[in-house]
Amino acid sequence: MLRLILTRIFLGCLTLFAVTILIFAATEILPGDVASAILGQGATPETLAAFRIELGLNRPAYVRYFEWLSNALQGDLGTALTNKREVLATITPRLINTLFLAGYAAVIAVPIAIFLGIVAAINEGKWIDRAANIVSLGAISVPEFFIAYILIFVFATNLGWFPSLSTVYSDMGFWQKIHVVALPSITLTMLVTAHMLRMTRASVLAIMSQPYIEMAFLKGLPRNQVILHHALPNAAAPIISVIALNLAYLIVGVVVIEVVFVYPGVGQYMVDGVSKRDLPVIQACALVFGGAFVLLNTVADILIIMVNPLLRNSR
Amino acid sequence: MEDYSNKLKQLEPLVATSGVSRRDFIQLAMMTGLSVTAAGSMFSKAVAAGTPKKGGTFRMGMEGGSATDSLDPRTYADSVMIAASLAVYNGMVEFDNAGNPTGELLESWEAKPGAVEWIFNVRQGIKFSNGKTLDADDILYSIGIHRSGDTKSPAKGILAQIANIKAISPSQIAITLSGGNADFPVIMGDYHLVVVPNGFTDWENPIGTGGYTLASFEPGVRLVFKNRGDYWKEGRANFDTVELLNIQDVAARTAALQSGQVDAVNRLDARTVDLMKRNKDLNILRTKGTGNRFCFVSRVTSPGFSNKDLRLALKWGIDREKIIESVYSGYAVPGNDHTLDAYNPYYNTDMPQRKYDPDKAAYHFKKSGLNGEITLSTSEGAWGSAVDCAQLYQESMAKAGITLNVKKESADGYWSNVWLKEPFCAVYWARRLSADQTFTQVYGSGSDWNDSDWRVPAFDKLVEAARVELDEEKRKAQYFECQEMIAEDGGMVCFGITDYLDGYSSKVMGTQAHARYDMNDLRIAEKGWFA
Repeated sequence: MLRLILTRIFLGCLTLFAVTILIFAATEILPGDVASAILGQGATPETLAAFRIELGLNRPAYVRYFEWLSNALQGDLGTALTNKREVLATITPRLINTLFLAGYAAVIAVPIAIFLGIVAAINEGKWIDRAANIVSLGAISVPEFFIAYILIFVFATNLGWFPSLSTVYSDMGFWQKIHVVALPSITLTMLVTAHMLRMTRASVLAIMSQPYIEMAFLKGLPRNQVILHHALPNAAAPIISVIALNLAYLIVGVVVIEVVFVYPGVGQYMVDGVSKRDLPVIQACALVFGGAFVLLNTVADILIIMVNPLLRNSR
Repeated sequence: MEDYSNKLKQLEPLVATSGVSRRDFIQLAMMTGLSVTAAGSMFSKAVAAGTPKKGGTFRMGMEGGSATDSLDPRTYADSVMIAASLAVYNGMVEFDNAGNPTGELLESWEAKPGAVEWIFNVRQGIKFSNGKTLDADDILYSIGIHRSGDTKSPAKGILAQIANIKAISPSQIAITLSGGNADFPVIMGDYHLVVVPNGFTDWENPIGTGGYTLASFEPGVRLVFKNRGDYWKEGRANFDTVELLNIQDVAARTAALQSGQVDAVNRLDARTVDLMKRNKDLNILRTKGTGNRFCFVSRVTSPGFSNKDLRLALKWGIDREKIIESVYSGYAVPGNDHTLDAYNPYYNTDMPQRKYDPDKAAYHFKKSGLNGEITLSTSEGAWGSAVDCAQLYQESMAKAGITLNVKKESADGYWSNVWLKEPFCAVYWARRLSADQTFTQVYGSGSDWNDSDWRVPAFDKLVEAARVELDEEKRKAQYFECQEMIAEDGGMVCFGITDYLDGYSSKVMGTQAHARYDMNDLRIAEKGWFA
């Protein structure tokens, strides 16, 4: 089992390496070059040339790539071209914010999704199964900003329970943050629950047609016990991967939510970076996002290996 | 009804500055349904509220900021940083609400005849937040950072006319221009030109002479300012603390204002602003026609468009009122086929506003002898609603019997692939600092941005003459003629100039329309106070 896990970790690192190449190549082919994007209207041929040299754009791409990679490995993400701030110092608090929001939403969404998924599987075809399906499908069928605006309208503008601006600052206490970030995390919960709920339900039901489940029924166990003790452990693998996928989405896919709730996360930082062609910023954000994806999927793979009795006992 | 009460709210701050008489105020108040006694006491309250009061935390929510912002004046490009800059620093020259340059750190000035040589007097007894006293060297340095060889400052272009600049004494600066320019003080009011101490480079910890000091700055998120306590402008910088939040999304800004999380927001949505006016806790301030100028520009050197009658047909055939009503919900003013706005002191008030006249359009089209279709290139990349405007234009031209094809171009690369290349396309122009700058950059023969390719030596001569004319009456006549020439002969159909829409909590005082920018010239943190 250890060998399997180590292989996974090695593969994860390899993926991340491939991601860095992709990121660098993508920023190279962004339309328009940084120098002219930053200088804008004030650009003259001489200032452009001077600025390109200052940015090192006159050197070959592979030299810049390896320089960037080795710096990034040592924790140096460079300085933003536009405002000369350390990228690492800017991105760290924003990453913490992003993880806080993702974690907050996950803490609500994952238990609800799994619980409702199991309940739906136990009561397959009954009203509770249908209700869970309809509500969760309804929630992902409307665009996220629509849910967000409705929540703002009801809970911020009309009832005044929560603020419509979810901007968090370093000087806020934990419970204050929980209150301020409530609306975006509820929005995200509504977006990711359906996927996990349906996957839980489907994989539990798929196991239900197996012979050993039939055996359990034949020996007289009630339905809920069969599901919890016999079906669920064997259905864990697909559920874990779908949870990992949704957690990754919560980290990398929430720019719209950040904009609507004015939440200072990494997504907005990346969008600003792209619109100003601020290469170190774009690269750092892409690296963080890529890293989150790879990390979560690797952890999911390892967990799957650990819960699967066949893989667990292989040598 | 709502309209009256909103007007009333806007009048209140004017009462104190005796801009409105007691009689007028009470009359208007009664139209909103108030009794005479109630209106009278409201007037007295407004007089009291007109005197600036100190204290409070003022929270602004603004569009126009980014995670890449910095307090280095060479990097400013949008509203948030301009507003932040004017809280911490002072400019060289300020503008009054009508748009005339008034002294700020450059207290007063004088030009020798010909407007080539200028003397500026530096305001005395002003202290930076680090205790240093302002002198001429600080001003020279603050101008110099925008002019030095490899600078990336957008202000470099407008300062290129400075041939020589030196301090004559610690309180006086002499500037020699490469050519006369009677508007030079206006140029010195450009928002990039703010004053820092001589040799200053630490832009993360700015030192200025402004009413506030920077307490914290998270680019793209929030700026916090604390009052300095001893501001040199009387009755200004009244808040203890100012928070400036970046809120890019207009719905989020609106919700934040409505739920009381911020006291002021910029750039409200014209489509929802009428609903907000009903809320009596809010004060919606509209600045008419100082925003972007929306135009359809034909290149007069292109086949067909070289015919003056065709150009007149284009100008008579657009239904300005209808576009403004349906696309901008009425929150724009009709353009008169040039890009100067009514706030400019040289705006031609004698020239009648051109209105939709399908008969005249048909007449000129027929007279041009051209028959065939006209193609207009447009795109969301020109401005958000350019396609809608073009489609309404198509409709109104059809009523004059002229076929206008609307060709939708890709938004990406619109300015490099379509603008200045296609013979007839959608363009917007922003406000320029002065009439001279407008005419030189938009219509001058020497300008690379002359998008109508309308190059007329007689016009250039007139602009040159007006530039050095120090006699106001003569100058006005020259600029009036410039506008007539453009509107009559030029290739530009300028059909609308948008309004600025600010939203304030009704307890914020000192909010007034300003000729230059929204939010009282982006100085509301300095000029405002709580009732």
